[in-house]
Amino acid sequence: MSDANLLILLSTLSTGLILGAIFSLVAAGVTIVYGCVWLPNTSNGQFFLLAALVAWSFTSSMGWSSLAASIAVLLLGLLLAMLLELVLIRRLYDTPNRNIAYFVVTLGLTQIMSGIFSLTYAKWSDQFSLPPIIEGLTMLGPFPISNNRLLVMAVSLGVLALLFTLLRYHPYGRALRAVFQNREAAALRGVNVTAIYKLSFVLGSSIIFLGGILFALAYSFDLTVAWTMSITAFAIMIIGGPGSVLGALVVGMIFGFTQAIVSIFASPTAATFSYLGAMLVMLLFRPNGLFKR
Amino acid sequence: MSRRTMSLTAGCAVMGALVLCSTSALAQAGAPIKVGFVTELTGSWAFFGNSCVAGLKMASDEINKAGGVLKRPLEFVIRDNQTNSSQALASARNLDINDKVVALSGPTNSDMSLAVYGYAEQEKLPYLVPVAAFPDLTKPGTRYTFRIEPDAAGWGYAIAKYIEQRKPGAKVAMMHSDAALMRAITAGFRYQAPRSKLNIVADILFPQGASDATVQAAQVKSANPDYVIVSGAGAFDNVMTNQLLDMGIKPGQIIHPFGITTQVFGWGSRSVGSIYGTFFDQGLDSLTKEGKNFISRFDAANGRPPSYVENYCYVTPYIFKEAIEAAGSVDREQLRNALSRLNTKESTSGIPIVFDKNGARKEYMYFMELESVNGKRNYQSKQRFYIEWDPEVIPVYELVK
Repeated sequence: MSDANLLILLSTLSTGLILGAIFSLVAAGVTIVYGCVWLPNTSNGQFFLLAALVAWSFTSSMGWSSLAASIAVLLLGLLLAMLLELVLIRRLYDTPNRNIAYFVVTLGLTQIMSGIFSLTYAKWSDQFSLPPIIEGLTMLGPFPISNNRLLVMAVSLGVLALLFTLLRYHPYGRALRAVFQNREAAALRGVNVTAIYKLSFVLGSSIIFLGGILFALAYSFDLTVAWTMSITAFAIMIIGGPGSVLGALVVGMIFGFTQAIVSIFASPTAATFSYLGAMLVMLLFRPNGLFKR
Repeated sequence: MSRRTMSLTAGCAVMGALVLCSTSALAQAGAPIKVGFVTELTGSWAFFGNSCVAGLKMASDEINKAGGVLKRPLEFVIRDNQTNSSQALASARNLDINDKVVALSGPTNSDMSLAVYGYAEQEKLPYLVPVAAFPDLTKPGTRYTFRIEPDAAGWGYAIAKYIEQRKPGAKVAMMHSDAALMRAITAGFRYQAPRSKLNIVADILFPQGASDATVQAAQVKSANPDYVIVSGAGAFDNVMTNQLLDMGIKPGQIIHPFGITTQVFGWGSRSVGSIYGTFFDQGLDSLTKEGKNFISRFDAANGRPPSYVENYCYVTPYIFKEAIEAAGSVDREQLRNALSRLNTKESTSGIPIVFDKNGARKEYMYFMELESVNGKRNYQSKQRFYIEWDPEVIPVYELVK
């Protein structure tokens, strides 16, 4: 294989892995919350963006390192998720058809956050980025990849592996899956369903925050990324199967790799249409998702 | 009533009428000249709209401190179009009907500019567009619209001419986002490239919302170009630039069609040696004393040097001042004629401002080489090339619809 072809192959693999992992993470966060609480979080894109913007603020205005900013944002995100759950989300746990109520509530959150970003960050800059945590390049054969993107890839895949392990082997993870599958039966088996709701909301939201930070480390971004991410995460959740973390992982990776591979042979625009087309076809054959509950 | 009383009453009435008239005349003499300024204060283009207003207010304050225009204050009535075409049109209509402005100005986004353009032409309202490069703003037959920024298809032409004189027969790759501005730039370049004996070895279009360009950067690297024209929407410009640099493309091979301050900071020190196009920059050879003054005052007030966006919005009030004084009145038709006949210079750079029959300005572009970037605070650049051209040196209105 020539160096040029190897370069393109390796760049395709790295793009597929990084994009796929980040989108899988965010979609996993969305699906955990939906699967447990029946909460279709339409504001997931805004949370994603909030994490990235706050990290940017810490690095650009306060001169923090990206590592310190990332850790701080994760901790703040955890607190914010707990506060939201306490103040807003738990009030609707016992509401009939709460998924519709949650849809409306999170739509409101989307508008509020979007408005705040428009009045603040949109005036300060048209584009944002985080300084790399690790400088330099690593050569994989003829393919140079920045060490920072390697770190993002490693963290994304590592967290996905941890999440999978948690859900499969840890008691809390098994309780989450039990509630995903049948909350009444889980309650009868002694699972504290309300506590699992809280855990799932905080865990899912924290994963979305992490996705935002990782994206900001790998790419420059602007305010439009919230909308793009929201649509993509929902599409991945629906195709993968609402409530299925495995589905989110698999479909997220398919998304990342489809975009990368198709763009070699056609344009990046065609790549975008191709993955959407593939998702429509999958829905025709599996309308409940690839890995339905 | 006695005759004396009647005389006294009549005299008082006449005196009162005289006082009222003179008060009214005094009030009219001091009444501000209103120009409607519809711009993007919120929404996706908010950064550019707010930057524009910062430059605008500096100039209008200076003009009013120096006595105003025709001994009247010049007032820009600013309205937010929310980066929404319908809102831009509604705001323009509102300013015309309710505020009775003498002219319109403001949008920094081509789509918003086009939304107001239709209204301005229909209602015969002079419209001076400070920052928007879509060619259709001055298509043949335009009468009331005047565009300060050169049209984007012309930028593509200028890039081809720059490369032609740098490396005849060069191989050029293009990576660009699917937005109106980028489509116009690349159309102009594609038209001029064969005429300048340049070879386009890659022409890659990214959809809006694209996040990653690694694969395409590898494809461009494989094509072994002499130059890569990088024109991304928003932050994606940084993404493409960094991924090309990661791939081994040298900074000196990268040409950005335009560079504003935040973009330069985003490119960072890795991009030292790269080239960007501009219409105003702190590194220009032709900066006037007023231009240097404008740069230092803007930097002090806003924490960053101004770029061409802020400069165009800064010179806009001065253009209105000159045109209104030449017209001698605020009659719209006379103001339109005065704008059409204008033959002046930008106070900040000395560049001529002359509009053709369609309201397009005689066009120009500087090409700057980035010499250093100091974090997010300052940067140094050096002028490498300057070019002027007539708006219709290429069939601009046919190339871009």
